[in-house]
Amino acid sequence: MIYTILYGFTIGAILYFISIGLSLTFGTIRVINFAHTLTYTIGVYMLLTFIGYYKGFFFISGSLAVLVVIPISYVIERFIIRRLYGESLDYTFIATFAVTLIGVDTIKWIWGVSPYPLSDPIGAYLAVWGMTFPLYRVFIVLIAILLFFALDLFFKKTIVGKIVVAALEDKDGVRCLGINVDKYFSIVFILGSALAALGGVLYAPISSIHPYMGLSVLLLSFAVVIVGGMGNLKGTFVSAFALGMVMAITARYWSQGAETMVFIVMAIVLIFKPIDI
Amino acid sequence: MLAVKNLDVAYGHAKVLHDVSFNVQKGQMAFFIGRNGAGKTTLLKTIMGLLKPQNGSITYQEKEISGSSPEQLYLQGMRYVAQEKKVFGNLTVRENIEIAAYSSREPLDRALEKVTGIYPKLKGFLNTKAGQLSGGQRQILLVGRALVGDSNLLLIDEPTQGLAAIVIEEVGRILSGLKDRVSAVIVEQNLAIVKRLADRIYILKEGKVAKEIVDKSEISDTRGLEEYL
Amino acid sequence: MDKGKPLQTRSDKFREPPAGLMSTPMKERRMTDFLVIAACFLLLTPILSAHRVTDFMIFCIFVMSFDLMYGYMGRLSFGHMLFLGTGAYCSGLFIKYVSGNPILAIFVGILGACALGMLIGLIIVRTTGACFSLINLAFNQIGFFLVLSPLRGITRGEDGFGVRVSSFSFLNFANPTFKYWFVLLCLLLVFYLLKRVTTSPYGILIRSIKEDETRVKFLGYNTFFYKWLTFVLAGCVGGLAGTLSALNYNFVNPNSMDVHSNVGVVFASLIGGAGNLYGALVGGVAYMLISNFLPIYIHRWEMFLGFSLLIIVFKFRKGIWGNIQGIWEYIQKRKGVGRPEEGEAVKR
Repeated sequence: MIYTILYGFTIGAILYFISIGLSLTFGTIRVINFAHTLTYTIGVYMLLTFIGYYKGFFFISGSLAVLVVIPISYVIERFIIRRLYGESLDYTFIATFAVTLIGVDTIKWIWGVSPYPLSDPIGAYLAVWGMTFPLYRVFIVLIAILLFFALDLFFKKTIVGKIVVAALEDKDGVRCLGINVDKYFSIVFILGSALAALGGVLYAPISSIHPYMGLSVLLLSFAVVIVGGMGNLKGTFVSAFALGMVMAITARYWSQGAETMVFIVMAIVLIFKPIDI
Repeated sequence: MLAVKNLDVAYGHAKVLHDVSFNVQKGQMAFFIGRNGAGKTTLLKTIMGLLKPQNGSITYQEKEISGSSPEQLYLQGMRYVAQEKKVFGNLTVRENIEIAAYSSREPLDRALEKVTGIYPKLKGFLNTKAGQLSGGQRQILLVGRALVGDSNLLLIDEPTQGLAAIVIEEVGRILSGLKDRVSAVIVEQNLAIVKRLADRIYILKEGKVAKEIVDKSEISDTRGLEEYL
Repeated sequence: MDKGKPLQTRSDKFREPPAGLMSTPMKERRMTDFLVIAACFLLLTPILSAHRVTDFMIFCIFVMSFDLMYGYMGRLSFGHMLFLGTGAYCSGLFIKYVSGNPILAIFVGILGACALGMLIGLIIVRTTGACFSLINLAFNQIGFFLVLSPLRGITRGEDGFGVRVSSFSFLNFANPTFKYWFVLLCLLLVFYLLKRVTTSPYGILIRSIKEDETRVKFLGYNTFFYKWLTFVLAGCVGGLAGTLSALNYNFVNPNSMDVHSNVGVVFASLIGGAGNLYGALVGGVAYMLISNFLPIYIHRWEMFLGFSLLIIVFKFRKGIWGNIQGIWEYIQKRKGVGRPEEGEAVKR
């Protein structure tokens, strides 16, 4: 049972990494980015490439992978997302999904379709209370918690963070103070995409890698963001872990039902607390 | 300082302002009065660049600015203080000012001085979340914040709306202190304030300038003004 | 501000294709429509095979059902496959366990989808926008899971099951030619039905709801009921498509409820032109052609599709049909044919 809880936390942590960007993008730019998990997938494949170069140094490769995603997400934001301000959902969906199509196909082109295995980079175990836990999974959870506090600090202490908080409340107000809000929202978008890539990089060793991996996670991250509240940092954190736990516990008793359970929770939330988009 | 000529503004197909023209000289305060829905807020928003006019021109400091963005106009010294005393409620008072200071590249202490200068009591609230301030305090914060950087023209929308008499006095005193320091276009419903501070008064009715009043004594007789409102 | 374009008033949206496009009276026009549509499909047949065209037609029926909700009512669903699957499974299971009678099976299929639509419609129709889209997605996913796992006993889970229909007088579903004509007939029937519905006062009401629901409510209409009705209708037609696909392939499996296939329907609707039955048909065929044949000629067809979609979204919103209509209108205007449209401002 303890293992289930740990796995639940691990999944929750990964979901957090991925969903926080989606939540922020929606809270700021008000665009539902269906291409969000593309950077997740790109991060993973970049990791594979760099690991090849750096002969297995996971952490360097991982960091580089995340960095490489930054210019890519800038391009997506600049040419696609920015044009979707105030756009209706159907066009946003088609446009961002089109980006996903292009991206996934590019990945298939460069890396091929066959899945890659990747092993646990730490490979060590934590022996506590007479049980052994994979240290790597604990590590992931710790990073997630760290990230939560880092983001909190970012939005409370940095000027960029404060501008974003102000703009979330009153965008025109910030504009009338001479600040080009869109530029800051772009920064948020890129940050969110990089975090999604980080999630991918961290999850890669314990999941299966294939070009469509982003799509399976996309729907789950939507559920997280809806349950936690769009643009709500704390809510996303809590709901990510809660849903991660739901998945882990459901998987234990009913292996194929894990994802469906998440959707049931999402549906229930939507019925009782419809979101306003 | 500001010259508006033949301004037409519409929301979609509904025309809100028709052929509006007026001037504001440097250091002067022009007041706009009129019923709700007459188009006063639309006028200020258009000058600030939040709305685009269909026709007409807006000249600010001898430059045509119609079509400029609010961001650009702020950097040229225009300040917009919106209705309903909207501050950044989730940030502290100090942080509210910090954003303005950051944007106008003014050192934070100088900015803070400017704001607390017009209302020293604000010093005690610097670390309070702006959303927790009273209406009057928020209005004063907004006016003070508008002074950060090189401000030349203030566009203020209904500063005394919803305030108690004593607070209105305070706000009036502060605005009075700004006379000759900055130019201003102010929308107001409180005729006493208008009478006290205005250099020129415009009555806006159904999107048109119904009357321009240069002699303030005219305003005492509100019944006489009825036909213009 | 664009002073050259005529003012578009609300009445524009409720018009039929402009007087210039088809100036013949209603009944005649409808006959022409049918013949044209039938002719188009018949023309395709020698090029592709009858079997393929049958596929296409079933998909077109599905796209029409989707467009009813999306184009006319303005609600984008990410879970419409649920109805296709429900129709397929209901009729399939009926044939497998109860009776091989095709007519009854079709009836059961539609009924199943209808019942489901009525039930979940009560919950779903209250929502709008992304909320609506995602709840539909959730239900689709739940349905998919149900046929995959818990109901595996009867549905055979991932493997699916075969469907063998018994002949019923002249209805011989084993004969591909018969299937072709039957599906074509269904398509024309659906087209006729939906055309009547969308041009009726009910149809105008639905479109008004899409545009401004509050206003319609103020006029005293129970918008919930009409939205629900549209949802159910869309579900029924979707179920019909599902039933037809079960009868066509003689096979039912969870793919008929696959969430990911929803993307195709949305694309088809958009490519053809949303809010328009002709557009739905054009889009359906276009998408089928693209997804079936493009991969053969262009290796990186998904990338190509992605770029095309971006171009459509940013430049050619109205889709193929919409643009054809636009060009036609433009030509008519240049010729000076046709009166100025209702609400069009006099050009200065």
